[in-house]
Amino acid sequence: MSSLRHHLLWILAALLLAVSTSAWSDDYPARPITLVVPYGAGGTTDISARQLAKLAEPLLGQPVVVENRPGGGGVNAMRAVSRADADGYTLIATTSSPTFVTPALRRVGYDPLQDFLPLLNYSGPYHGVLVSADSPYHSLDALLAATQDGKRLSYATAGALSGARLAFTQLARETGAQLQHVPFNGASGATAALLGQHVDIALVPAYRDLVKDGQLRLLAVLDDQPDPDFPEVPTLEQAGYDIQFPSIVALMLPRGVAAERVETLRQAFTEAAASPAFAKVMTKLNQPVRVLPGPALAAVIEKNLHAYQRLAEALKR
Amino acid sequence: MLLDAFHALLDVWVLIAALCGVAIGIVIGAIPGLGPTLAIALLIPVTFTLSPIPAIILLLGVYQGAIFGGSISAILLNVPGTPSSAATALDGHAMARQGRAGEALRIALYASVFGNVFSCLVLILLAQPLASLALDFGPAQMTALMTFALAIIVLFGGGSMLDAALMTLVGVAAGIVGLDPIEGLPRFTFGSFAAEDGLALIPVLIGLFAMSEVLLQAFAGRQQGPAERGIDAVSSQTSSPRAVGWLSLWKMRVTLLISSAIGTFVGILPGIGSTVPAFVSYGLARSRSRHGARFGHGEPEGVAAPEAANNAVTGGALVPMLALGIPGDAVTAVILGAFMLQGLTPGPFLFQQHGVEVYAIFEALILLSIPCILLGLAMFRGAVHVIRIQPRHLFPIIAMLAIFGAFSVNNSLFDVAVMLGAGVVGCVLRRAGFPLPPLLIGLILGPPLEQSLRQALLTSSGSTAIFVHSPIVMGLAAVTLLCVLGAAYQRYRAARRERAA
Repeated sequence: MSSLRHHLLWILAALLLAVSTSAWSDDYPARPITLVVPYGAGGTTDISARQLAKLAEPLLGQPVVVENRPGGGGVNAMRAVSRADADGYTLIATTSSPTFVTPALRRVGYDPLQDFLPLLNYSGPYHGVLVSADSPYHSLDALLAATQDGKRLSYATAGALSGARLAFTQLARETGAQLQHVPFNGASGATAALLGQHVDIALVPAYRDLVKDGQLRLLAVLDDQPDPDFPEVPTLEQAGYDIQFPSIVALMLPRGVAAERVETLRQAFTEAAASPAFAKVMTKLNQPVRVLPGPALAAVIEKNLHAYQRLAEALKR
Repeated sequence: MLLDAFHALLDVWVLIAALCGVAIGIVIGAIPGLGPTLAIALLIPVTFTLSPIPAIILLLGVYQGAIFGGSISAILLNVPGTPSSAATALDGHAMARQGRAGEALRIALYASVFGNVFSCLVLILLAQPLASLALDFGPAQMTALMTFALAIIVLFGGGSMLDAALMTLVGVAAGIVGLDPIEGLPRFTFGSFAAEDGLALIPVLIGLFAMSEVLLQAFAGRQQGPAERGIDAVSSQTSSPRAVGWLSLWKMRVTLLISSAIGTFVGILPGIGSTVPAFVSYGLARSRSRHGARFGHGEPEGVAAPEAANNAVTGGALVPMLALGIPGDAVTAVILGAFMLQGLTPGPFLFQQHGVEVYAIFEALILLSIPCILLGLAMFRGAVHVIRIQPRHLFPIIAMLAIFGAFSVNNSLFDVAVMLGAGVVGCVLRRAGFPLPPLLIGLILGPPLEQSLRQALLTSSGSTAIFVHSPIVMGLAAVTLLCVLGAAYQRYRAARRERAA
């Protein structure tokens, strides 16, 4: 009698195991997927990620829940996701700064190359080199030439550890230009400082309307491609300097997610990002849609992380 | 244009949006830790399905309602619902203890509406010129302005100037924790990643004002708490709602105007927020008043001044956001996103391309005062009964709300620890008789003051000429000096009168 009960228990346990493993391997996604946004609710990164999540839901057949984890300029959320279970139920919609800028400069508690699998890039606001409309400089060369004759120009950025600052520090080192960095709290503060002519240059995104209105002048973009709104304005590389600050807004997964799950997510989110509905929202937000597949994105991240690490080393010396 | 805009408002959805927005705002604002930023961010998805005007009115209604709602818990419980209502608690709660809670709430409501209408009129008439004035405030000018604000708090905040100065320095020192704003290097974080963001304002505020109140009551023994004594008086007060009429408001007209102007002006400048103008106008009202000694002990003018100022900030903060696309604080940054989603991209083209919508929104901001007053008065009837709740029931709820509120800011347990720490510090300081508002102001203004000063010196290559050559800086320095002399003279006269008596 007792041995029969024993057998029954074993069979039951085996059955349960079979049910649970089949659920685990075949029906992905079987429960809601969490999309972590490393910034507060209501910002452009948050709104675009929420839109993307909404569009991916019908394709995945499960809700995609957006969770805001602000703080530390995105670093806190990246650290949390790097330690999350690699089961394909946790993703992050991240940006350049916590991916390859901050980790190059200080200890952040995660390795952006080893701990994350880049899934897809879907946006990235172009950062411009802007001067006031009544500034005497009409090109980047003219501006740099002026600083080489002993004139010192100040440039505003969105923060102490911004990628734009690193790109310009590198530019100053290469050309011997006298450029003084002045960090502000966010891009809007830096833009206001330029509009009020408290600084000579600002390296900020979201400049389109101010440039078209004739209040600011765009001399170059820091990205690796020209801004489609201003195709005639060169990138730093086109202007002859081997420096870039590519702006990314990308989905990443913790490393170790099973390949078929990655593929499911990749297909759903790529389709959502390429949809006209997503393009419509992004146009309203004044943000570009820039779809870049995982491997190409990984190359961009690795290249710039190493470049910025070298720069940070050089700055310490 | 203004008439077309008004026609656009004659829509049942506008009415529904206004009522819902204000009601949600007042409730959210009254709960410590939940502020307008959170409420607006959560409501943005709801606005997707609305047309632009009701969508924006819903969000701006929340913004206005929340700033006023914070004063309800400040007056009734001595627990500010939002940082900006911390100044309202000083005299508002003193009035409530004397059984004049209903009067204090009504004064707060009318002063809020006054400040709001004032700043909206300024917004309608002067948005463009004021936006360019805001741009004249660079790092050097901001340094001078923040020094002025700190001086006002120390000189006219009430109580001993030495105590206030000490507490301000404690606040400024607490603001040093976190990443250096210029170099990005960690300071006093002891290797903790969570501490790199510094001591966040809302957890510190909740700790200092709400948690410390709970701890004080917990250690006060079995006495029935101050709230208990006021019950009968409160209920008799609420039964005569005409006690505060337009007459008493008329008597405070100068204070209301000055406070609203301060609120609007500070709102236009980025990065200061609404707490500082509330305390500055409180200080100025106190210094101007003939019965300055009654401030802090239930003076109605001490409720009106900060409420007019912190509500006037809403209109001011919209000026650079709409005219330049540059948000001054977290709330306007979220509202900026909502505007863009509705196809109303703020910036230089907004007024040209969407004039009717923009003026309709301005007019609605003024008209929102009507639901604000109606819902406010209706809510007071229920809210004053909060004061009847036994402290032993009330304070556990406040403690839970405090923990919940601190956690909800960043979903971080570190913030809860900061809140509890601030609660203990606040409790000890209050027992020792130190004023807490200067500590809060020091914490708010310390980091931006450091950043502005260092930014100014970076742009000028370390030369102080950047301060001396700016007329705005020199003007502000002169006003600061006058205030110091004025305070010294007041002190001298008071001392002489005492000797004579």
